[in-house]
Amino acid sequence: MSPHDTAGPATGRDDTPRLAMRGIVKRFPGTLANDGAELVVRPGETHCLLGENGAGKSTLMKILAGSYRPDAGEILLDGEPVTLTSPQAGLAAGIAVIYQELDLVPDLTVAQNLLLGHAPSWGPVVRRRQRAELARAAVARVGGDFSVHTPVRDLPIAAQQLTAIARALTADARVIVMDEPSATLGESDLRTVFQVIRSLTAQGRSVIYISHRMDEVMEIGDRATVMRDGRSVAVRDLATTTADELVADMIGESRELVRTTDRPRPEGRPLLEIRSVRSPGLIDIAGIGVRAGEVVGLAGLGGAGRTTLLKALFGDTPATVSVALDGTDLRLNSPAAAVRAGLALVPESRKEQGLMPGLSVARNAAVTALGRPPWLFPRRLGRRLSAPVLTGLGVRSSSPDQLVGKLSGGNQQKVVLAKWITKGGVRVLLLDEPTRGLDVGAKADLYRQVRHLADQGVAVLLASSELSELTANADRIWVLHEGRNVACFDPRTTDETTIAHTVITGATPTGATPPGAPS
Amino acid sequence: MSTSTTVAEPKPAPGGRSPRTSSSRRRGADLVVRFNLVLVFLALCVVASLLAPEFLTTRNLSNLLQQSALTGIVAVGMTLVILTAGIDLSVGSVAAFGGMTVALLIDKDINFLLAIAVSLAAGALFGAVMGGLSAYLSLPAFMTTLAGLTGIRGLTYLLTDGEPAGGDIPHAFQLLGGGFIGYVPIVGLIFVAVAVAAGLLLRGTTFGEYIYAVGSNKEAARLSGLPVRGVITAVFAISGCLSALAGVLLTSRLTIGQPTAFSGLELDAIAAVVLGGTNLFGGRGGVMGTFVAVLLLSVLRNLCNLMGLGSFFQMVVTGLILVVALVLNMLIEKRGSRA
Repeated sequence: MSPHDTAGPATGRDDTPRLAMRGIVKRFPGTLANDGAELVVRPGETHCLLGENGAGKSTLMKILAGSYRPDAGEILLDGEPVTLTSPQAGLAAGIAVIYQELDLVPDLTVAQNLLLGHAPSWGPVVRRRQRAELARAAVARVGGDFSVHTPVRDLPIAAQQLTAIARALTADARVIVMDEPSATLGESDLRTVFQVIRSLTAQGRSVIYISHRMDEVMEIGDRATVMRDGRSVAVRDLATTTADELVADMIGESRELVRTTDRPRPEGRPLLEIRSVRSPGLIDIAGIGVRAGEVVGLAGLGGAGRTTLLKALFGDTPATVSVALDGTDLRLNSPAAAVRAGLALVPESRKEQGLMPGLSVARNAAVTALGRPPWLFPRRLGRRLSAPVLTGLGVRSSSPDQLVGKLSGGNQQKVVLAKWITKGGVRVLLLDEPTRGLDVGAKADLYRQVRHLADQGVAVLLASSELSELTANADRIWVLHEGRNVACFDPRTTDETTIAHTVITGATPTGATPPGAPS
Repeated sequence: MSTSTTVAEPKPAPGGRSPRTSSSRRRGADLVVRFNLVLVFLALCVVASLLAPEFLTTRNLSNLLQQSALTGIVAVGMTLVILTAGIDLSVGSVAAFGGMTVALLIDKDINFLLAIAVSLAAGALFGAVMGGLSAYLSLPAFMTTLAGLTGIRGLTYLLTDGEPAGGDIPHAFQLLGGGFIGYVPIVGLIFVAVAVAAGLLLRGTTFGEYIYAVGSNKEAARLSGLPVRGVITAVFAISGCLSALAGVLLTSRLTIGQPTAFSGLELDAIAAVVLGGTNLFGGRGGVMGTFVAVLLLSVLRNLCNLMGLGSFFQMVVTGLILVVALVLNMLIEKRGSRA
């Protein structure tokens, strides 16, 4: 381990910023990704970097990491100008970036990963015991308590994230950039990461935290820089700022979120009746009903069973399912059967499960609609069927022939939705974290489309780990806890704190509908 | 990296035809990618005719078509398999088995049309079993078809204890593999017909679109309710059937069934498919590329023959051409996707 490992406050005077990026300009063919961006981070602070998708955050961080060279501007580390020509140079200067997709080698052990490329050795022979000790120290430093001999593949996501952080720290990092760690973490795992962030900043290191989730930002951040259109538009002290002010900075104009509270609540018997969904050790759900036109939210911590429930309903996971649609029992033993029954799933990962990235927008949007006689001319048929849907959803692409992989996240998610609208006959829409990684505007847009579908009589089951999105968009919210549905809330009469309490503890407060009661 | 053209507002297009600058550029790039191979092919033909005056004789050209047809038919089936991100290593063994069964059945005085049908069905069945194992049990197709490569070859030898089969083969059956219409070999016509049919299947039927969807993202296709396992089983069945067809045609030309025939065929077929621009990881490519690539490789071999270069030299040149074409393809495609 290097002697500079504990980068304490002594290495920088208090008035010298740990990191200052000034007047950063980065031009790509056709776009100005950074247009005079500024970022000043103090020693020992958690600095949040906010902005809608495309605001220039990623570009700025890639410049900081040394992956991109800026066209103009300067970077000062502890007051010293630095030129970062490569990611190696960035690491050497003490800048560690932990990307959303963790760059660990899954089949190697924690110790192997941590010291990949600089393992202690005699010539070509690795000194395994010393490597294990170094790794153990690094894991302990981030508060991990897992064995360093475990293959990374076998670790829970939170421990993988800690491993990635620990690896960043072995490289003597003064500035640690964390790109949306919560995108892959559940609520409780996030706590662990937050603790590590706090201990890092207590050692005088600086953390740059990128997230779309306001509650996290308010909790972990000391200050925030908000970016818009490649510029830094505001620097806020988070102790004296509200989330609404930050959102206003991000979007630059007030945008209306559709609130369920204005809507009449659907009445009548449920269209989708989930009598029971059981899978030993995973979930045990009973008595959830969704009416036509109703949006029912599924809240819960990571691992509470939201995804498992939706997958089970869609015939994609082995489980004992007793479900009725419009009074008729469904046999859901495969996704194909579920689709035939009128169910549609917007899966958790749009890139891996939702889209065919190598095919065009139109072909993606129509792939569900082709299974009909005479089974001919799918491309022409698909184009004809999908065109009005894509227009209606406002998918922004240069043409229907554009590869779907090249669209922005929000537009990609709309194409996943378009897939089901083009097919037609959807009666139940299952949404699993549909807004992950989307910016504020794209989120509002997506929920508007979901609401529009509900208004046409579709029963919607919406799983999200962002409670505020559920309270804003769901008619009712079921809380899942450790695989069981514990309570149902009406977001018009219950405040978010109460629901959040149940999400974390699993206890049913008074006023909530317990399972079994008529909904 | 970001593309400047992605955020163009959707224009109201009543006729469905709006000005698409980026898309037409993209199409242009696609065409260049496609024509790249055709251009190389034509250039090679010009070089060939300059170096060897015999090249452009009808006799030589019809020979060339006859020689490339069998590999070509198998490569068309292989294209479908690779488009679903699969691979079929068993084609050579299935072809040999098809050739042997047809010879044996005809020897037993069974009508040759029926014999052909049985042969093709056996090939399709082998393909369906290997593909089905891979699709329904999530085994890698590489392994199931590798097992097929060995097992079916062994089965072929067992049919006659390794001896060639047949001998008394009806004239009509011989025409199929060895006959000509004018100067055009009938096998060449069959190759063209198979390629055209596969092209129509890919572009003009829902099944074809499913092949692309499965190859591009199997998981997304499954979660869209597509019959993924059926599609995979079917393409392997088609590949097996076309392999058996190649075997039948060879038996027809040689008038005997050779159990040792077609060894190493899988590599020739895969080479042609990949040279033809089909992505080994599925989802992108097509039959036309394979068609041109098959001809290109044949012309190359033919040219080496005409110039009296040994087969060792031929192998080196073929390898080099493959590498150069793949690098070129990749560069052009990269350029195209950036535009």
